[in-house]
This record gives sequence, C-alpha cells and structure tokens, in this order.
Amino acid sequence: MSLRLFVKEMNGNRVEGELIRTIFYSLLVSFGLLALLYFFRLRYIENFMPKYGLLIFLSALSYAILLPSIRQVRAYKEFACMSGMMIGMTVGMISGFLAGFYVGAANGMFYGSLFGMIVGMAFGIYNGLCCGIMGFMEGITAGFMGGLMGAMSSVMMINDHLKAASVIMFMISSIILIGLNYMIYKETKESERQIKEDYIFTIFATLLLTSITSWMIIFGPRGGIFA
Amino acid sequence: MKNTTILIIIAVIIISAGAFVFVNGNAKENLDGGTGDNINEITLSMRNYNYYPNTITVKKGDTVRIHLDKSITGCYRSFTIRDFGIAKNLRTPEDYVEFVPDRKGTFTFACSMGMGRGRLIVN
Repeated sequence: MSLRLFVKEMNGNRVEGELIRTIFYSLLVSFGLLALLYFFRLRYIENFMPKYGLLIFLSALSYAILLPSIRQVRAYKEFACMSGMMIGMTVGMISGFLAGFYVGAANGMFYGSLFGMIVGMAFGIYNGLCCGIMGFMEGITAGFMGGLMGAMSSVMMINDHLKAASVIMFMISSIILIGLNYMIYKETKESERQIKEDYIFTIFATLLLTSITSWMIIFGPRGGIFA
Repeated sequence: MKNTTILIIIAVIIISAGAFVFVNGNAKENLDGGTGDNINEITLSMRNYNYYPNTITVKKGDTVRIHLDKSITGCYRSFTIRDFGIAKNLRTPEDYVEFVPDRKGTFTFACSMGMGRGRLIVN
C-alpha cells in the first residue's frame, strides 16, 4: 500500500526523506529568532504574551509545516496539470488562510486580508507554476480567497473562542498539507528528482516569513475594531 | 541524525514552546480598579448604519451600564468592548452590559463582527 511506502520513504533517500528535516530546520530558525527577539525586545511590550504569543507561535508552526510542500514541489519541478492545480490550490489556500487568520486576529479584517492575500498568492503562484498557466491561475485564485477568508474568520471569532479556533485551524491545515505531501509522493514515485538542494532556501524563507508576520502582528497597522 | 530522533526533538521543541506560550499567555493584567459607586447609564441607538452616539465619555472608576434601544437590530445587538472583556448579546432594550472602566484611555466598542463601532473615552 502506497501510504505505508510513503511513511517508509520518509526515512529514505528521496526528497520525502528530507521533509521532517525541513520542518526541523524551519522550527529551529523561527523559534531561535523569536527567542532572541523576545529576550531583547518583545518581553518589554505590555501584555505581549496574552495578546500576541499564541498567534506568533502558531504562525511559526504554520510556516514550518508549509515549507516541506514547497521543497517537495521544487525537487520534482514538473507535474501534470491536474496535480499542479491541486498543489497551487492547496498551498495558496492554506498559506493565505493561515497568514490572514493570524494577522486578522491582531490587526483587523483589512490588514489581515491584505497580508493573507499577498502570502497566499505568492505561495500559490510559486507552487502552481510547476505546471504552467493552470497551476498559476489556481494558485493565485486560491491565495486571494484564502487570505480573505482567514482574516474574516478570525475577526468574526474575536469574542468567541478565538484561541481554540486558531489551534483547530492549524491542526486541520497540517492534516491537509500532510495529505498534499502524500499526493505529491504518489504522483511522482516513478519520477526522478530534478533538483537537489540544501536547506538555505528553507532557512531564508523561514526568516523572512516569521519576521514579517511577527512585525505585522506586533507593530503593524491596525484597522476596524483594533484601531 | 535519524528522522525518528528529529521527530522526537521537534515534538520536544513544540511542547516546550507551546507550554511557554500557554503559561505566559494567561497572565492577568494588573489593573487599578475603581469603586463603581456612580452609575453611568447610556442607551445607544442606530443612525447611518452605526451606533449613535458613537463616542461615549465616562469617568474611570464609575460603573457604566450600556443599553441598546429597539432601533438596533440583528448582529448589531451582539455588543462587545474587547479591552474590558465585554461580549454579550443584548436581546431586548432592557438588557444591558455593565462594567467599571479601570484605566484611562480610548477604547473601541463594536458589534461582534466589527461592522458597527464607536469610541469609549475613559477620563
């Protein structure tokens, strides 16, 4: 059964064997950065942890769970149209939704949507490009929709178990992304890996995403009920 | 390093960071409360698709009681003041939210979706 093979391959020599390592490096970089920032700057901000702690923690986890999919897509480079559309849609939607959700919960619907759309569309386009214009279109559309939906959901839940909802949204998104990893494995198990790379991209992307998201949540512009 | 070992380290990192966030995230603010002897009763109505008046000025330490009159309908009746932990569905004009503002500043009151909103100024 290919699910069992997939689990086995996570310890193998293909790109699937690097997925767990990608999560590991991403977490190390983001938590290292956040720990430094917390020690020197963030702990002096009034009510930092109750207001922003969980959102920043979950955003770091979300990027750590998103980056393995990107590594996997970059490794195989080319996919069939259907697979590419699914990849663009899933990555665009989930990245936009999560980024929009966390920023929306601290900055309001407008800035949350804007940030979520930018992140979602960027991820969606980047990953959807593996299969041409169809993946591109699917990625950009899903990123746009995910960003809007994420910010809208968090603002609507402000007074209704927002913290629990954030954790549930993150867990569901993680399951979807693990499903995507499995789908990519199934689609490419007969293919040869096109690009072999180190972890520089993962480290750079994590640094960029974590710092921008944290800045946005803590110091970014506020709109609506947060103004 | 084996992937199983890495998985265990990942779990340890997430649990430690999560516990840190959870323990510190529930810290209560140290607020300087008032006596709440004077009651400030305010009734909001609806004008131009928003609460009216949409700026309320109250004194720190006074009890504030806010009603919504019958012109306010739908989800606008779900009234919130995030900074004071107020979130209540005021079903009838007789229902109200009551609190004692314990710090000075300008705060936002809004419906639960943020569609209608105004400012609460505490002097």
